[in-house]
Amino acid sequence: MGKEDLVSSNPLRALGLEKTEEGEERRAGLVMARAGLGKTAILVQIALDSMLRDNKVLHVSIGEGVDKTRTWYDDILNLMNQENKIEDFQEIVVDVMQHRMIMTFMESGFSAAKLEERMADMAQQNIFKPACLVIDGFDFAASDSRSSLNELKGLMEKNDVKMIWFSAVSHRDDTRVSANGIPAPCHEVDAFFDTVLIISPEDNALKLKTLKCSAACSADAGKSLLLDPASMLIKKA
Amino acid sequence: MSVDLSNVRNIGISAHIDSGKTTLTERILFYTNRIHAIHDVRGKDGVGAKMDSMELERERGITIQSAATFCNWKDLNINIIDTPGHVDFTVEVERALRVLDGAVLILCSVGGVQSQSITVNRQMDRYNVPRISFINKCDRTGANPERVTGQLRDKLGLNAHMLQLPIGLESDLKGVVDLVTMKALYFDGDNGEIIREEEIPADLKDAADEKREELLDAVSMFSEELMEAMLEEQEIDPVMVREAVRAGTLALEFSPVFIGSAYKNKAVQPLLDAVKYYLPSPTDVENIGLDLEKDEEEFAVSNNSDDPLIMLAFKLEDGRYGQLTYVRTYQGTLAKGDTVYNTRTNKKVKVGRLVRMHSDEMEEIDSCTAGDIVALFGVDCASGDTFTDGKISCSMSSMHIPEPVISLAVLPMDNKAQVNMSKALNRFTKEDPTFKTFVDHETGETIISGMGELHLEVYIERMKREYGAEVEVGAPQVAYRETISTRAEFNYTHKKQTGGSGQFGRVAGYMEPLEEGEYEFEDKIVGGTIPREFISSCDKGFQKSLQKGVLCGSAVTGVRCVINDGAFHAVDSSDVAFQLAAIGAFKEGYMKAKPVIMEPIMKVAVEGPSEFQGSVMGSINQRRGIIIGTTEEGNYTVVEAEVPLSEMFGYSTTLRSLTQGKAEFTMEFAIFKPVPKSVSEELIKKYQDERKEK
Repeated sequence: MGKEDLVSSNPLRALGLEKTEEGEERRAGLVMARAGLGKTAILVQIALDSMLRDNKVLHVSIGEGVDKTRTWYDDILNLMNQENKIEDFQEIVVDVMQHRMIMTFMESGFSAAKLEERMADMAQQNIFKPACLVIDGFDFAASDSRSSLNELKGLMEKNDVKMIWFSAVSHRDDTRVSANGIPAPCHEVDAFFDTVLIISPEDNALKLKTLKCSAACSADAGKSLLLDPASMLIKKA
Repeated sequence: MSVDLSNVRNIGISAHIDSGKTTLTERILFYTNRIHAIHDVRGKDGVGAKMDSMELERERGITIQSAATFCNWKDLNINIIDTPGHVDFTVEVERALRVLDGAVLILCSVGGVQSQSITVNRQMDRYNVPRISFINKCDRTGANPERVTGQLRDKLGLNAHMLQLPIGLESDLKGVVDLVTMKALYFDGDNGEIIREEEIPADLKDAADEKREELLDAVSMFSEELMEAMLEEQEIDPVMVREAVRAGTLALEFSPVFIGSAYKNKAVQPLLDAVKYYLPSPTDVENIGLDLEKDEEEFAVSNNSDDPLIMLAFKLEDGRYGQLTYVRTYQGTLAKGDTVYNTRTNKKVKVGRLVRMHSDEMEEIDSCTAGDIVALFGVDCASGDTFTDGKISCSMSSMHIPEPVISLAVLPMDNKAQVNMSKALNRFTKEDPTFKTFVDHETGETIISGMGELHLEVYIERMKREYGAEVEVGAPQVAYRETISTRAEFNYTHKKQTGGSGQFGRVAGYMEPLEEGEYEFEDKIVGGTIPREFISSCDKGFQKSLQKGVLCGSAVTGVRCVINDGAFHAVDSSDVAFQLAAIGAFKEGYMKAKPVIMEPIMKVAVEGPSEFQGSVMGSINQRRGIIIGTTEEGNYTVVEAEVPLSEMFGYSTTLRSLTQGKAEFTMEFAIFKPVPKSVSEELIKKYQDERKEK
């Protein structure tokens, strides 16, 4: 399978992510799940899909090291290769490296202002200008999370970032939800996101449900995706 | 002679450069009564630390070769290998880890887990070496052992927990609280040799209780007895805690952390106790040998002193006492005067003298047993050879040896220097498998290659100092490689008839890229179109062609040559004729096989204040580097990147000026990758111009 087929056959097409990057609209997505169900695996697949469509992705990892994050990409790419027998796999690996930058922060060290400063550094020297931001480990339970999200929205506009994706941990015993069914701790910032996915273990399978989806999504996106529990690859149901 | 192996520890001391390994070793030797005075690494007294026995090491304040030494702590026999911190010399670290049972990872309480600590930790993982950590330099401004312990967890993925708490920090460091015995330890006397045990200071009591609780929670999973005692709220005996920590450490699932300041003589003795309590004895670890009589089938060596002898030569030195071979005995007993067999060469050698090394001094011994690390005299062998007593035919598993990535030409100044240089090179290549040398037949120059600029620099210095070989040195050159990217066929006839006996040979077949390995040859000739006696001539011809590729004159690797047809002449065919035919066939196939030039790519980590992150990234970008990621910790940022080696020359100067000397970098070889088209064209043109000039 070549690069183009890899993009066109990606189950993520159901979310219409490519439509956003071509237009003016900016999108914000969120992947939620209980701890250990595979949020990072999904974020990495969304990031890889964007890179394969020649977009630059800045993966911000809060509380994890560069090596660990990089290993996620290596593992997912290898699994995709096993599954799809990718032609010129090594070239694709190099291509991905050139389209990706990993930035890690300590939990206490991350702020939108700091991220903006780093991005400005890179843009000024023409080193890296991302079209997509992935933020793994953002603290939605923090008291200033709403203002941080607004700052990040401003950062997207200033730096022409088309898409931003977050991950958030939901807790079984916290039953608070928003009107759209978005669970805590993101129930109060529901309006920030136009796409919200949740990993839900049901009938010995991991379903990837769409709690919220933009107009770009195909109609049945909510029912069409699941997560292979062995490989953590997103599949069509 | 039988030694209680449970009281033997073979340990390595590994760390990032300048974390204080050599200072710590010096203190250990002092407290174990091996030396009677302490000398600093960059000593004003001109003596230098004991383990830095080479003049050059003392001058530069770094440890280049790992020196082995032996000491006794209470009833424990400890063999220590002091290993170098600089990444260029990691083969020394790897060799040490191969023969050692446990290790102490030294970290700076200010610098924390630095890039080299990550490399060393990875090496320890590779050889399944249980480790304990010592956070040194707690007397320094900015010391923060808790932060470093957190980094051991986050960056190295170790289940690290402190077994001590500091009493004071920085210039106020007074001692440590032992969380196992719940006592405060102070180190009195001129050299901290008097240990004073007292109750925990009142202001630290709560913190100590809390940390002990955390520690017990973490280690209880390694001991049912401890878990039960905790559930039943019984008093916890220190022995029980130690057993749990030991079990977790040996299973590589727990990593105890100790703190102190070797330079200020604080808390080195408890670290020695920890070596006894928590690091494995030779019987606690499984070492694997390869049975040469059973097609290299793996087997576990017995560690039994009464079984047939197996020992591994892991280090050679040619010092003032003559050729010295460091060996680790895995099973059996070796006595002075015994004959041993080198299983690689099948040669037998008599062991005349057997010594226990203490840096550059030694102690004659009559015998050694399983688990020992000793040195032999006058035994001709290469590093990595296995010796037995002839009753068993086996080899200890091979060591991971990285490929050299940099080379330079060395030219002796006169005839005397020429003789001395070849002596030196002969010894260095035997000692260090990552250091290679060859003569470029076209230029007549002697080329040396190794793992980095500093690696080669040190050998050149050693040539001058130890062998009196004055040499002129060329500019460092990147060790490029050539390889093919597609399959191609060849069919070449070598024919020469110029009076006298003629030459005739035809070689046909194909070449294809080889995924792993440097070269493979396969003979698929049927019907004797090439007679059997000339098959090896074809192989030789191909191998000669590999020495110098046609694109830029670099060695060719990753090629599989297959011959499937040919022709010969009853009179004119010969070894030489078929070698030349194979060389011609290789040339013919090579250009059709789309050859490419490969360059070494280095994994580079630049560490410095965050304010310079932009400039650092810019400097990497300008060097064809790909930035993998950045890690921000407090005011420091580490930028990790992959950069071609050819672009890294002079980087330390650039970095210094960009960051006001506040950033530092390390690099190690990562992978060979094809060079971009523009660079390839440049290299080809340069090589062609050089050839025209000759």
